[in-house]
Amino acid sequence: MLLEVRDLHVEFRARDGVARAVNGVSYGVAAGETLAVLGESGSGKSVTAQAVMGILDTPPGRITGGEILFQGRDLLKLTREERRRIRGAEMAMIFQDALSSLNPVLTVGDQLGEMFVVHRGMSKRDARVKAVELMDRVRIPAAKERIRQYPHQFSGGMRQRIMIAMALALEPALVIADEPTTALDVTVQAQIMELLAELRRETGMALVLITHDLGVVADVADRIAVMYAGRIVESAPVHDLYRAPAHPYTQGLLDSIPRLDHKGRELHAIRGLPPNLLTVPSGCAFHPRCPRARDECRTDVPPLHTVDARRGSACHLWRECLHG
Amino acid sequence: MAEPILEVRGLVKHYPLTRGVRFGRRAGAVRAVDGVDLTLGRGETLGVVGESGCGKSTLARLLVHLERPTAGAIHYKGEDITRLSGRALRAVRRNIQMVFQDPYTSLNPRMTVGDIIGEPYEIHPEAAPKGERRGRVQELLEVVGLSPEHINRYPHQFSGGQRQRIGIARGLALRPEVVVADEPVSALDVSVQAQVVNLLARLQREFELSYVFIAHDLSVVRHISDRVAVMYLGRIVETGTDTGIYDRPAHPYTQALLSAVPVPDPEGREKRERIILTGDVPSPADVPSGCRFRTRCRMAQERCALEMPELAAPTGGGPTGSVAVHEVACHFA
Amino acid sequence: MSELIDPVAGIGAETASARLDRPRSLWSDARRDLCRNPVFVVSALVILFLVFVSLWPAAIASGSPLACDLAKSRQGPGPGHPFGYDGQGCDVYTRTVYGARTSVTVGVCATLGVALLGSVLGGLAGFFGGAGDAVLSRITDVFFAIPVVLGGLVLLSVVTSDTVWPVIGFMVLLGWPQISRIARGSVVTVQQNDYVQAARALGASHSRILLRHIAPNAVAPVIVVATIALGTYIALEATLSYLGVGLKPPSVSWGIDISAASPYVRTAPHALLWPSGALAVTVLAFIMLGDAVRDALDPKLR
Repeated sequence: MLLEVRDLHVEFRARDGVARAVNGVSYGVAAGETLAVLGESGSGKSVTAQAVMGILDTPPGRITGGEILFQGRDLLKLTREERRRIRGAEMAMIFQDALSSLNPVLTVGDQLGEMFVVHRGMSKRDARVKAVELMDRVRIPAAKERIRQYPHQFSGGMRQRIMIAMALALEPALVIADEPTTALDVTVQAQIMELLAELRRETGMALVLITHDLGVVADVADRIAVMYAGRIVESAPVHDLYRAPAHPYTQGLLDSIPRLDHKGRELHAIRGLPPNLLTVPSGCAFHPRCPRARDECRTDVPPLHTVDARRGSACHLWRECLHG
Repeated sequence: MAEPILEVRGLVKHYPLTRGVRFGRRAGAVRAVDGVDLTLGRGETLGVVGESGCGKSTLARLLVHLERPTAGAIHYKGEDITRLSGRALRAVRRNIQMVFQDPYTSLNPRMTVGDIIGEPYEIHPEAAPKGERRGRVQELLEVVGLSPEHINRYPHQFSGGQRQRIGIARGLALRPEVVVADEPVSALDVSVQAQVVNLLARLQREFELSYVFIAHDLSVVRHISDRVAVMYLGRIVETGTDTGIYDRPAHPYTQALLSAVPVPDPEGREKRERIILTGDVPSPADVPSGCRFRTRCRMAQERCALEMPELAAPTGGGPTGSVAVHEVACHFA
Repeated sequence: MSELIDPVAGIGAETASARLDRPRSLWSDARRDLCRNPVFVVSALVILFLVFVSLWPAAIASGSPLACDLAKSRQGPGPGHPFGYDGQGCDVYTRTVYGARTSVTVGVCATLGVALLGSVLGGLAGFFGGAGDAVLSRITDVFFAIPVVLGGLVLLSVVTSDTVWPVIGFMVLLGWPQISRIARGSVVTVQQNDYVQAARALGASHSRILLRHIAPNAVAPVIVVATIALGTYIALEATLSYLGVGLKPPSVSWGIDISAASPYVRTAPHALLWPSGALAVTVLAFIMLGDAVRDALDPKLR
């Protein structure tokens, strides 16, 4: 495993109490693999990623337990300086909002080149040559000329390409993409996802794709981890999960997608609302919304049951769910 | 098609661009909406899809009179309402209401839910006598699936989906006939979107509403719409029944748009053919000549730069009947 | 942290807890924040004390601030006269206590005037835009270019009244553009919210939109700036009085006393120390209060 998150716990101290944003999350990413972390807002999918990257705001956030093993080392035991050296060089992140992630007063070339100056100790001139190469690689036309432009002079799709270029600059083994296309239009989203797929094939990097979009996941993921209220509720290879979900939440999400044969009829909506992290329901956090909920679901937190060698489901009733 | 309730002819909205601080000269215009024709039938849902910058939100604002069109006309039940003002405009507003995209900015944080949903009655006192208003607000809360006891709460005490329900209740208070919904579910969590889509569908049946449903999510639009119009850079490039558009898209843009939507099913994804458009949508302040899509179109030829294609029935496709149900603005369709 | 923007947002219908039944608004949240903020508590206590003293100075100072005895000129502290005497032989303690009234009166009245004039003009300009807005913007630019102290020296030197009103009038005249600019910006921002559009789409009148939807949501920055400005007006009054164009004796003002005591700072520092100390504490209290209010009303600015 390239990255292994083990029993990670993250808390946030809010005005009204302590929010357990991540509540015992474990997942692994093999080299070259694409793992999709699927979840709604508040599921803890982004917080987990921030903890892995070491960019969690502390305070108010706090990692209260667990391990993050990256290439065999526990990142949580490293010093600030050691983590900083890993960040960017060995693991990188792509954010949803490219405009606010780029510095508006520096040219794109300076920002791309900075990666090489800081991490590789290159001269400014060499770094600039590298920056042009990178922009070519993410297929920004006329890279030589555009390198002197500022972020606001690029369109949303082009800015996201620049972000990707920055993430890939030092050829990291792992890239975490947090909703990389949510702010983009579908036609541009298709471009960016295609680019990511190509770059992944070229570099052999592993990708953790954080998203709420079931369509994007089905398109690119090898494996999926579904998060709900700070826990992983189901983890499975992509084909298995779409063919036969083993958790009622996953099932609900898949059923709520508008389908052709349901035209004009009610969508299968999941009832109720995502839980507030300050008052997560007892037992299985999904039980108030779950059509299968029984008494044990209200009291006992379900562990991640082994469905088969490659799948897990945190549902007491995963067998019924899988077969019915 | 049912009898038309809302008809839009040649609608144009240009925002002038000025140079200089205050008293600058005119330097071109943002052509947000640039000649749109639409017809909404009674009880029908017309889906409008397009990417950001295509003018769909401006179109929504024009339909509910939040903006004055630069040119063109809007007819409501045959009456030209484009330039109404004062009392006459207020009367029309009762019948055409809007549901907004962002449930966080569309409710006044300083007002209680009761005040928010009841405000339409204060603005239009003739709609409900004073004594009945509170009861009506509670009824509306129930209709949209909220507890009537929540009447004294503030918006921030609700989740996004619940707030959107409050916004919908406000839009329904005056019993409008037409509701313009501008991306009503795109700001909501996935598991909540379906609830709101179902709610809108149920309300349409209960209150005999006609919807203009504006969205960028093509699958949601398909689910709820009877007819669909595809917009690109301020113009409608294709319009037709939902099956016509989704199964036999005739415009190269519609084809690309549909093929770009990720399919929520990994089966056979390796073999899926995608039309990946190059480049971005041009700025509406600097619109290409002729066909607006030609800069990204794989079929573009010289003719496309010179002549602007008009909406017309696609050759060969579509049933030849009394009404042209499927129309496309492309020289080669 | 984007997932935790609103901790209450995700409450499930079934799990809606009892604490939600208590209506909470931005103001009650702000109040809760303020009461927990030691900066606010301290500055509020100081200000409460100041207000009390300016309303009932006799409660803590028995003498008259104008009862002076030249024979006691510049004498140090003595029994019953803890702050000593100034150059005119007046009791420094009594004069400092009575000086609070002037400062608080000037500060409060000037702030009210400035806030009222500024927010009405700025708010209307922001709401209606157009030519009126452009003209107002230019006018505020002009006012911003006037150096306050120089303006005071020029304008107030021709006034002969010995009341506080000319000084207050001058502050309102020069102070409103600051508030007007804040109010305009705030109104423009609030106006873009969809709830304002929703009210328009319902056919709401201008006055309803302004009073029900915009004003309550746009007022917070005005309050913050006005509170901080209150402190600076008190300082400005002292400055003008020190320069001899603000209040004039027999008015009692910290500025006048500071001015009168400054030549004798070596021989009788106590006469300078107490009024200037009171002034500094007062100004600081209002500025700190403004900061605390800003933190409570607009956590993003922190």
